[in-house]
Amino acid sequence: MVLRVLDPSNETTPPLGVLAPRVASLAGATVGFISNGKEGTHGFFAHLDRMLREEFGVAEVIRRTKSNYSAPADAHIVDELRRWQAVVTGIGD
Amino acid sequence: MAVMTTRFVSAAELMARVLGFADYKFAIIPHPISSASGDALRDAAAVAIDQVRTLLVHPTVTA
Amino acid sequence: MPLAAKTYPVPDIAAAQELYHANGWTDGLPIVPPTEHAVAACLNWAMTPPDQLLGIEPVRAVPITAEKLAINAVMAGCLPMHFPVVVTAVTAMLQPEFLLHGATSSTGGCAVLIVLNGPIRRELGAAGTFNALGNADRATAVIGRAIRLALINILEVRPGGIDRSTLGHPGKFSYCIAEDEEDTTWNPLHVQRGLPPEVSAVTVLAAGAPRQIMNEWTTDPEEILETFAAEMRANMRHYSIWAGNYALIIPKQLREHLQAAGWSKTDIATFIHVRARVRRGEWAEVGKRAVVRDQADTEYAALESPDRLLIVAAGGPAGGFGAVIPPWLGNKSIAVTLPIGACVDCGPPA
Repeated sequence: MVLRVLDPSNETTPPLGVLAPRVASLAGATVGFISNGKEGTHGFFAHLDRMLREEFGVAEVIRRTKSNYSAPADAHIVDELRRWQAVVTGIGD
Repeated sequence: MAVMTTRFVSAAELMARVLGFADYKFAIIPHPISSASGDALRDAAAVAIDQVRTLLVHPTVTA
Repeated sequence: MPLAAKTYPVPDIAAAQELYHANGWTDGLPIVPPTEHAVAACLNWAMTPPDQLLGIEPVRAVPITAEKLAINAVMAGCLPMHFPVVVTAVTAMLQPEFLLHGATSSTGGCAVLIVLNGPIRRELGAAGTFNALGNADRATAVIGRAIRLALINILEVRPGGIDRSTLGHPGKFSYCIAEDEEDTTWNPLHVQRGLPPEVSAVTVLAAGAPRQIMNEWTTDPEEILETFAAEMRANMRHYSIWAGNYALIIPKQLREHLQAAGWSKTDIATFIHVRARVRRGEWAEVGKRAVVRDQADTEYAALESPDRLLIVAAGGPAGGFGAVIPPWLGNKSIAVTLPIGACVDCGPPA
């Protein structure tokens, strides 16, 4: 006896994106932070802001916080990041 | 540059894979952040900054 | 129309079990091997072609087709007659306000509570009486399980992978309850939420574990409901203070006292909206002084408005018990109610 049983998983492949090119230098750059706003992130990003300016010569740091830490970044934040040379975001709590 | 706390590394690896970026490299900092002291947050930022050098910046090398 | 899923030949049921377990395609329990015949029977019963797109999980751009959902429903033990409920539940979970990715990946570890209403309960033998939140009957057991298997397999919501639940709770195996509409004077939940009584419906809520209360020493409605409110306040103090959809499960013994006193579900919700409140300063009494800050007197309500409370008449006939089911986290995910196989508020055909 042979049973033929079906695959229950998603067999489609995700759409491939393209990795943004790395910058040659952060001197004079605008860097954006997309924070999940959880406890501790304010302090972490404040230190990161200072270190990027002091060690890499970053000119401007723009901090944005998602309106819902369990959802992707708000559309207006995603629109804004086109004007930044680099972005820092993450997962954690 | 994406920053993950250590306890979310597997989540980040999986999300990168399911989004089609299996080799995506991200920075890793200590966990947790939510109850970390001010000094610990500063140290975590320093750990992240070290990884900025390789993950965000790609200086060109002149011959 | 032929099915598109890859097929695997296996010599027997035992081999099928090992194949599915080895691939991470189970919840740890044995599954019903999904054959083409069984899957096609579900699709035929629900009159859905296999390639019908039920929706796309937006964060990861994952399509959910009727065929893939039917495969997981069969694995869970669903018969064809259970499948339309599973389809409706997943469709509800894909509504943007449910926040499916957040709800199913969070460290908070919620499950998806499914409440079944309308005539379909009787067709399926979903009783909503004894052991309503446990293993009550075949229908609620397999419908709830189908949802979890679909999350595991189609959306890769696996522990340590996308599912970051620190603890989770047993509802992640199956968390489906039918309302005991025949043994109450109250409007069913789906009618409270705006659907006609003749329609069958599913309500989904991203929910924590049930918290059982007991008050068999009074018939006074306010005293009975104060016990429910106290459990909601405890959840706000101990777990999460944020307002969202709470569910109250009210079995017959307590329900009869409330009904005898003329209290409707609206009356109950109005009372609970007032009583389920805490001050932020109370956090200091439960070890959370660090986050009180200078806001000790700020008051928080469990419900933004009375209509955020989902009241379900269910449970066995004896015992002064009830249950409070809290939301995953405030109003990050909103409960969704959808009719099964019907289009409500649709315009007339052109």
